[in-house]
Amino acid sequence: MRLEKCWFCSSTVYPGHGIQFVRNDAKIFRFCRSKCHKNFKMKRNPRKVKWTKAYRRLHGKDMTQDSTFEFERKRNRPERYDRNVTENTLKAIKKIDKVRVDREARHHTMRMRGKKTMEQREAAKELEQSIHMVKAPALLQQEPSLTLPKIKVKVSQQLSEENRMEE
Amino acid sequence: MAASSASKLFRAGRSLLGGLKDPNGSIGLSKDLPRSYLFSQQQRTFIQMRTNLKVVDNSGAKRVMCIQALKGKRGARLGDTIVASVKEAQPGGKVKKGQVVYGVVVRAAMQRGRSDGSEIKFDDNAVVLVNKQGEPIGTRVFGPVPHELRKKKHVKILSLAQHIA
Repeated sequence: MRLEKCWFCSSTVYPGHGIQFVRNDAKIFRFCRSKCHKNFKMKRNPRKVKWTKAYRRLHGKDMTQDSTFEFERKRNRPERYDRNVTENTLKAIKKIDKVRVDREARHHTMRMRGKKTMEQREAAKELEQSIHMVKAPALLQQEPSLTLPKIKVKVSQQLSEENRMEE
Repeated sequence: MAASSASKLFRAGRSLLGGLKDPNGSIGLSKDLPRSYLFSQQQRTFIQMRTNLKVVDNSGAKRVMCIQALKGKRGARLGDTIVASVKEAQPGGKVKKGQVVYGVVVRAAMQRGRSDGSEIKFDDNAVVLVNKQGEPIGTRVFGPVPHELRKKKHVKILSLAQHIA
């Protein structure tokens, strides 16, 4: 029994699932489900299809190089059955998976850092520029308390500066 | 008003017919799929009478037309034997055009289920010519062959094969 990788989306194909397509040059394409198979028949390039692992790796959305991937390399030598080895391998698989998931989460946070500050900067700018869409400018000058209607102020210093500028 | 309703019906009828002729017609156009999509969604079926198959050994024949599938009511599949008529042959080969031969299907475009639950399919329909006893006439086999042949006791073909899928 062998767990293969889908050629299109790179997910694991478990036994009993999927279709194997053998081309005349003896290259075997395995697909996990008909979605991938149909995309292949449409001659789509997996590197351009957003939801595949190939795209995500290529565009830096997911981890590319990691030592945890070394454990999943394809080995063609059959191992002699040894109960202890099997037991240790099963334990190791669990641990390696945990490590890999942690590293992927860390990669994700590293990729997404700076998003919060950027969002807040954009929000402040929008507030400054587009407040006239919410309240009339004449009204704003009359009652300065109306400039900030019910906005959660986290970066209070920046927004209070805006407030003072309005006044 | 009668005339306008009649013309509307006529147009509706036309579109219906259009839908029936073209298998993916209206749906395909609405989703704006490329032309190749329509052609690649073929329904692959069995190898039956009048099916053209490619010959992938060096017995001399090039193309062969199935006359009879020896087992199976609906037709032959991957690994079955067929009776075929040689339609195209190389000039100096062991078989000649018009000859009736037996063949073993080594590649079929229709998917065949395997015992582990997966399915396998090939790019084209190909056959290896054999004699009545099941031994191949040629001495070489080209392209990949499935290991379903082992169960069907076509061991000689497997031994000649370059690649076993």
